[in-house]
This record gives sequence, C-alpha cells and structure tokens, in this order.
Amino acid sequence: MPEAVVCVKPIPDPKHWDRLSLDPKTGVLRRGGIPTVINPLDKHALEIALQLKDNFGWEVTVVSMAPPETTQTLREALAMGADRAFLASDRLLGGADTLATAYTLAGLIKKKAPNFQMILCGNMSLDGSTSQVAPQIAHFLGVPHITHVSKIEAKDGITFKVTMDLKLAQLILEHQGPVVLAVTKEVNLPRLVNIMGILAAEKKPLEVLSAADLDLDLSKIGQNGSPTRVRNLFMPEIKRRREIIKGEPDEVAEELINRLHQVGML
Amino acid sequence: MGDYRGFWVFIEQLQGRVSDVGLELLGKARELADATNTYVGALLLGDFSKAKAKELISYGADKVYLFSHEKLATYHSLAYTKLVCQAVTQEKPEALFIGATPLGANLAPRVAAQLETGLSAHCVDLRLGEDGILEQIVPGFGGTMMAVIICPEKRPQMATVMPGVFPKPEPQDRQGEVISMAVEITEKDLVPRVVEFKAKEQKTVALDGASVVVCGGYGMGSKENWQLLEELARLLGGAVGATRPAVDEGWAPEEVMIGQSGKIVHPKLYIGAGVSGIMHHVVGVQDSEIIVVINKDPNAPFFQVCDFGVVGDATQVLPAFIGKLKERQKRACDFLSIETPQMNEGPYSPDSKGDSQ
Ligand SMILES: Cc1cc2nc3c(=O)[nH]c(=O)nc-3n(C[C@H](O)[C@H](O)[C@H](O)COP(=O)(O)OP(=O)(O)OC[C@H]3O[C@@H](n4cnc5c(N)ncnc54)[C@H](O)[C@@H]3O)c2cc1C
Repeated sequence: MPEAVVCVKPIPDPKHWDRLSLDPKTGVLRRGGIPTVINPLDKHALEIALQLKDNFGWEVTVVSMAPPETTQTLREALAMGADRAFLASDRLLGGADTLATAYTLAGLIKKKAPNFQMILCGNMSLDGSTSQVAPQIAHFLGVPHITHVSKIEAKDGITFKVTMDLKLAQLILEHQGPVVLAVTKEVNLPRLVNIMGILAAEKKPLEVLSAADLDLDLSKIGQNGSPTRVRNLFMPEIKRRREIIKGEPDEVAEELINRLHQVGML
Repeated sequence: MGDYRGFWVFIEQLQGRVSDVGLELLGKARELADATNTYVGALLLGDFSKAKAKELISYGADKVYLFSHEKLATYHSLAYTKLVCQAVTQEKPEALFIGATPLGANLAPRVAAQLETGLSAHCVDLRLGEDGILEQIVPGFGGTMMAVIICPEKRPQMATVMPGVFPKPEPQDRQGEVISMAVEITEKDLVPRVVEFKAKEQKTVALDGASVVVCGGYGMGSKENWQLLEELARLLGGAVGATRPAVDEGWAPEEVMIGQSGKIVHPKLYIGAGVSGIMHHVVGVQDSEIIVVINKDPNAPFFQVCDFGVVGDATQVLPAFIGKLKERQKRACDFLSIETPQMNEGPYSPDSKGDSQ
C-alpha cells in the first residue's frame, strides 16, 4: 500500500506562552515544563493522510523531531488514526535551525519510510512560524514540493490536483509520484479524537530513535549543522508617549479628543 | 567573507506583473551596497524583454540578471530554484533577499537548502553589524522581543522580508547593465505541472495608504460592536483593520488583517480597540505616527507601546468618542455655515475642513 508520511511538530501549548523564555546566551527557547500540543496546522496535514487511508487504504506514518517527553503528543496523532510514529530525539539534535531540522527529518524518512508517496506538513508552525522546513525536506529527499496548499483533490488516489494559494492568485497543479505538500487550514477540518482511537493508540508502534540510529552526518545536525545563529535579542525601542487615560467613558472620550488635538491629529 | 560581494534581490513576478516587494528590497539593498561600496544585483525570472528588465536599474539595481523564457512566466519551484542557485553559485553574492510572500516562502527555503546556507524568515528589518555581517531582525517567539539572526559562516546570507516594511524607491535615472542568462530547463524541472493560473480579483484595500487606521481586536466581542469601528473610520476618513482573532471570528475579511502575517500599515493615526498588543500584531503598526489603544485591561501589553492609552470598555468608550467627534464636526460645520456631512455619504476627511474658507 502507498504510504503517507506526516511531519508533526509538538509545540509548547500557546495557552502557556507567557511561561516561555529564551536562553539569553544561546537564544535557544526554554520550554520550562510547558505541556506540548500538536502544532494545529499539522492536524490538517494528518487529516489529508487519514482520508487517503480511509478512501484508498494508504498507510499513515507520523514522524517528528522533538525532546523525548513529547511522545504523549505523538500518541494523539496515533489516536486520530495514524498507524505508527517515529520520533527522532537526541541531545545532539538540539538547537537545530530549519536546515538541520529538515536534514534530520529527511534522514528519518529515508530510514523508516523510504517508499513514501506523499509527505505532508503544516504550512507553518505556530511557534517558529518560518514555513521553511517542508521545502527543505523536499530538497533533501530530492522530490518536488508544493506549499500554501488550500485544496487537494485525490481523484483516483494516484494523480493529485493541488491548489497553491499565492494570496493574489492561485496555482492549480497536477502531480503523480512522491511529493511534499505543506497545507493551510483551509484544506480541511481535522477529525476529533474519540475513545476508540485513544485505546487503539496505546497498542500502536511508537519508536524513539537517536542520531546514531539514523546514520546522519553529525556536522549537519543540531546547532553544529545550523548556519543561522541568534546574535542577540532586544526589546524594540519605545519612543511613545505612553500617556494613560482613565475615567468614565464620556470623560476619557473628551480627554482623548483633547490630546489628539494637541498633537495635531484632529 | 572573501570573494562574496554584492547584495541581491529576487524580483517576484506573477504572470508578468512585478510585485512591489522586490522593488522595496532593491531600495534596501541599494542602501546596504552604498554603505559598503559594492553593487546591487536583481534576479529576474520570467518571460521578459531586456527593456523591461532595464526598468529595475532605475529602482536601484546595478546588474540585472535576466532569465527569460516563456515557461518561466508561471512560477515553477524546481526550475526557479535551479536557475537562482546557478546564478548565485556563479556570481557569489554576499546576500540574497526574497519577499516573504507565498511564492517567496516556497522558493527561498529550497534555494537555501540547495546552497547549504542559512535563511531567516519574515524579517522586519535588515542592517549591517559592525563586523559587516548582515543582521536580520525577526520578531521573536510570540513575545515582545526582537531577535537578531545572523549567518556567520555560510554565503550568501539569505532572508525573506515582509512586504511593506521598506518604502518603494522612486525610480531614478541610473546606469546599469542587463545580463541575459542562459535558461536550461527540462521537463523534470517543470513538475508538478501547472494546469491553471487563477488570478484573484484584486481588491484594493482601503487600508493601503490610509492616513487613519481604526483596528479592532478580539475584545470587540461581536459583529454588532464591529460597526462602531466602521462608523469611527468613516468619521475620520480612515479604514478599518483587524487582528487575527477578529478575522477568525469573521468580523472582518482576511485582507485587512494587520501584522506579521498580514499587512504592514503606516498611518498618521492608528486606533486599536480591544487589541491586546501581541508583537505579531504590533510589528504591523509600529510605524504609525500616533498610536491610540483602548483596552479594558490596564495590564494589556499594548499600553507599553502606545501614545495614548484609554483604559476602558471599547463598547462604551467608542460610542462616547464617536458622539463627541460628531458634535465637534457639527460645531465646526455650523461655524462655517456648511451642511454637516451625512454619515452614510462616504468618507469625510477632516483634512478638507478648511477648504471652504
Ligand atoms: C506566527 C504567528 C503569526 C501571527 N500573525 C498575526 C498577525 O499578522 N496579525 C495579528 O493580529 N495576529 C497575528 N498573530 C496572532 C497574535 O499572536 C495574537 O494572538 C493576536 O494579535 C491577538 O489579537 P487580539 O489582540 O485581537 O486578541 P486577544 O489577544 O484575545 O486580545 C483581546 C484584548 O481585548 C481586550 N478586551 C476584551 N474585551 C474588551 C472590551 N470590551 N473593551 C476593550 N478591550 C477589551 C482584552 O483585555 C485583550 O487585551 C500571529 C500569531 C502567530 C503565532
């Protein structure tokens, strides 16, 4: 059966982002015990794969690169209906930028799902939001990629008609053969997890692999393999008046008009 | 780094229409090149004549690398990646800038991966460090910080940059050359096959170039309350913008979303109501001359970066504000003995007040 691979990124739950901090020296994100959730767009990617499974009998493999404590997050993908999950997890992989991340995920896919027909990603992650990983995975695997995918028609399950949303226009593409697709939220509505799924997920294979397991070139992973660096962080300079106005609606409205008038705005 | 010289810009075009972001980036590249005594390169792929390519010189390019081929009129990621990488490998620019548009976000990562270099996404500023390294400013991690990203060892240094952050330069009478590049592409470079190009109807959004922007956030609470913003914008001759959650609620169309993933605006007056002031949004408004914030939470982060902050319920403050503005407007009109403009007769610009004197 053809195989779809879904790249899933566990991200710190956006509800707790006020607890995130950055290591001022390395610029690496300190996640500080915040629970992780599946990056929301990745669920839309998974839904595409699950529909291929429902309609054409495809197999669905989930891959991820993340710290080991995120296995529970991957269980959720299994509960939604994926068949198996692989997590690349290793200290050596820490501090990776998008290039090193894509290289690692591509290595994982080469090792564990070399006969993939389709790789699906969310078009961006809520936390990093670079949108760079999917095209870079495609490069490392030597297959084409389509991003900003807002619609996929599976037709016969062999030829796919894909809409790329360019904002000012749409490109409609047709493709057969292995490809990487990065989807937007317009593409579908992901299914919810039910109790049967959760029970089934407990028995599904979830394997954690180290860098050594993946035959990776150590100079291309983690911080060493990342060409970009965070030089420093700064608070944007604030040259604003910051005059606070309080009181009853009528008073504050009057006061605001006066101040705007003073600065020549009204 | 040694033999890598020149600041390059990828010029985005859709079916022959050159996007502004490429021209904006030429302006910035010009500034960086002048500061370091080097040249500006423009990469143009499409079905173009040399004469058309020459126009880029007036926007700041010294050399225009033209890849002209009918198949390049439509974007194909593999073909574009191949040709861009070919030019970069041959000419060795120190930096390459690409618009942070969907097309740019599709192309840039693959180019960077093929060239084995770094890429920063959605930059809101570019500058040179004291060591001559390009500093790429990226709004940081959902918070209130900015991160300075560098690519110290690999070349070219690559960045995608948000449309609208740099001004589009005025065309000038300048000298430069157009270099015709050989286009060698095969069928394999043209997959996935493009079967259709659908131009979307181009709505000119009133937000572009508006001198007053009234922006609503999730705190507006409902579509009914949203009308208050429309009314205020009409009264001030401005346009209405929205935050992401407000767009998600369906109170405003996607085109008017302001911020990192939406529009960057530069009004004289920005009024944000029920907007918390998360950096993703604020980067889109920080060039406003005056920022007014109306929020019921005195600890809302937006109060830290505003000129006038009103602590209060927007659904009460806005009607009061609108009422008082109307009174003022009426007084001004009575004084000048002209009719008060009717609200529903289209935008009324306060700037036109003095006209009848
Ligand atoms: C990668 C990424 C990109 C993003 N890009 C953008 C972008 O381009 N643009 C964008 O806008 N967002 C963007 N976001 C979302 C952004 O992080 C914030 O979630 C969003 O800007 C918050 O919108 P908001 O202020 O309307 O809503 P909230 O943060 O929910 O704030 C609502 C505010 O309204 C106040 N309020 C509630 N009721 C009232 C009332 N009656 N009167 C007055 N005040 C009231 C509350 O105190 C609160 O401060 C992005 C997020 C990510 C992760």
